[in-house]
Amino acid sequence: MPDATFFSLRQVTKRYGALTAVDGLTLQVERGEIFGLLGPNGAGKTTLIHCAIGLLEPDGGQVLVAGGNPREPQVRARMGIAPQVLSLYELLSAEENLAFFGKLYGMEGARLKQRVTASLEFVGLESRRRDPVKNYSGGMMRRLNLAAALLHDPEILLLDEPTVGVDPQSRNSIFDNILALKREGRTVIYTTHYMEEAERLCDRVGIVDHGRLLALDTVEGLLRSQGGLPRLVVETGGKEVEVFSADPLSELNRMAEAAPIDRFRLEQPTLEQVFLNLTGRTLRD
Amino acid sequence: MSAILALAVKDLRLLIRVKSGLFFAFAWPLVIAILFGTVFSGSGGGGSHALAVALADEDQSAGSKEFAALVAKSPDFQVRPANRAEAIGLVRKRQQAAALILTKGFGEASQQMFHGTPPKVEVWIDPSRQSEGAMIQGLLFKLTMEGVQKKMSDPGAMRAGIRKSLEDVDRSTAPPDQRASLSRFLRSLDTTFGNMPAASTAGGGRGARWEPLSIEQHDVAIQREGPRNAFEITFPQGMLWGVMGCAMAFAVGFVSERTHGTLFRLQMAPIGRFQLLAGKALACTVACLTIEATLVTVGRLGFHVVPHSWPLLALAGVSTVAAFVGVMMLIAGLGKTEQAAAGVGWAVMMPLALFGGGMMPLAFMPRWTAQAGAISPVRWGILAFEGALWRGFSFQEMLLPCAILLATGAVCFAIGTRTLRLT
Repeated sequence: MPDATFFSLRQVTKRYGALTAVDGLTLQVERGEIFGLLGPNGAGKTTLIHCAIGLLEPDGGQVLVAGGNPREPQVRARMGIAPQVLSLYELLSAEENLAFFGKLYGMEGARLKQRVTASLEFVGLESRRRDPVKNYSGGMMRRLNLAAALLHDPEILLLDEPTVGVDPQSRNSIFDNILALKREGRTVIYTTHYMEEAERLCDRVGIVDHGRLLALDTVEGLLRSQGGLPRLVVETGGKEVEVFSADPLSELNRMAEAAPIDRFRLEQPTLEQVFLNLTGRTLRD
Repeated sequence: MSAILALAVKDLRLLIRVKSGLFFAFAWPLVIAILFGTVFSGSGGGGSHALAVALADEDQSAGSKEFAALVAKSPDFQVRPANRAEAIGLVRKRQQAAALILTKGFGEASQQMFHGTPPKVEVWIDPSRQSEGAMIQGLLFKLTMEGVQKKMSDPGAMRAGIRKSLEDVDRSTAPPDQRASLSRFLRSLDTTFGNMPAASTAGGGRGARWEPLSIEQHDVAIQREGPRNAFEITFPQGMLWGVMGCAMAFAVGFVSERTHGTLFRLQMAPIGRFQLLAGKALACTVACLTIEATLVTVGRLGFHVVPHSWPLLALAGVSTVAAFVGVMMLIAGLGKTEQAAAGVGWAVMMPLALFGGGMMPLAFMPRWTAQAGAISPVRWGILAFEGALWRGFSFQEMLLPCAILLATGAVCFAIGTRTLRLT
């Protein structure tokens, strides 16, 4: 029976001089899941990704991808990455970019053509395949960046802030792509500082700050364990009253019996709240 | 190997896509080579060597017109007819090398033989062109002698002139003994020409023609001690400029890959550092060799730049490219940003070009600067190209510049790859 753990970090540490970017971090990602790394800018997410793909050698700890060291080419060949910085040649067309990257992975001939076309179709850029990338919008470039990561049909994808600076339409398109990848059984590691994305896409979320893993669970589990109670906000007699309660409906009934209620709203805990509870500050601080 | 080729093809494709880069890599060295070659040639690389003169005929006699026609027909002169004021004005404005003025009485004087005032030509010349003035005097004497030769080869015309001279001598106021002596000489000459059979000369018989001097010119295959033309100096310079520009473009392009994130994706691919660097080096090599081949072809076809040895020229080309591929890698390693790489690159390249003879031929430079050029690969590159083009180097003589170029490339490449940050 194959090991369900496809990607693991054990006590990984990475320092830049006096700054500890990743501080003894341990986590496992299972085959076929979408794992979110949530944290503010500068939390150490990108350094962690660079260690995970073998671009940086950790100062301590161990990284294993499919049981191998990602610094070895054959292990790297099983991974695809869409870096935060767009890694595309703007003077080349989308087709030329992908064909070039494909050749670096040893693809050629009909197989290369088929993969280029499939990747472009997947991100909805087939009709613009011959246009120079410099003529693309920011969202289209992000989608092509994703296509380049998918080109060689990797088993695990690392998407580093893949929606930064894109329009809502392209963002939704990227979300659809990621969910389609999950349905295909691929493993996805997704870093973001947008809690809505993590809530929408991820099976499990790890919250990172100052290079440390503060919490790791499913979104529901995190909300339950770290999000606190639902917040009931009631307007009555021209005043706004705020109540935190595990049973907001009973609380609302009790208040309605006491005085007429003009308006009310119920706010469920969010990952933003989870982060606030864990660190004392918001994700965008 | 396919990954290396893919990297090289991608880089060449990017080079071609940037039109300005393409122009400066390929066209600009050619412009430099042709422009400077033309300037150093002085005459635009060939054409007429005739002296441009303005000619004013103030006499308008049969004799002056005949002489003016002789001058106009001469391949040594390019004649522009004018009056005196115009002719001198043209020289003053440097539009003509000299003004030739056939003065009043030119025709009359040219009929006189062995006595009287000679026909007079005024030559007005730009003081800065004194050497051409001396040449003009010589050419005018040559034309005059051709007229005398023609006349002496025609007994009828000669005797008519002698008889006119006899009449002039009889009427002259010279002392009686001088007049008697000259008359005897002229009558004796008249008798001599009267005894000549007209057919022997009028028919063009070579034996009867008289020439003051016969000159035969023969071309000798002399040992070459210099370039055939200025282009054989400027085309090697152009090739070095092209190779330097190409190395700079690739160095900045390499740094750009790092700052734009594409290097990140290359490193994620299952290729090693060696393949990555080899791909870059291959692309730069191909581009540089193409530039050299372009200049050699244009030089050969259009500017008489003919190598004395094609294999040695190929050796020079490959050695020079090897040196500058190494320099490219060194600059890519030193520059952290595109601006820094460009700044460092040109700060290195300009002194190398200046002291290495890339801007001015080494022969025109002060001795100390020419000696300082020994540290520049530009100097050794130019020497290697000149050795294969016109210096007539043997294979053994080519070894020194080529070995220095290859060593420079190897050292720079090694330092560059060690200092190169890929992340």
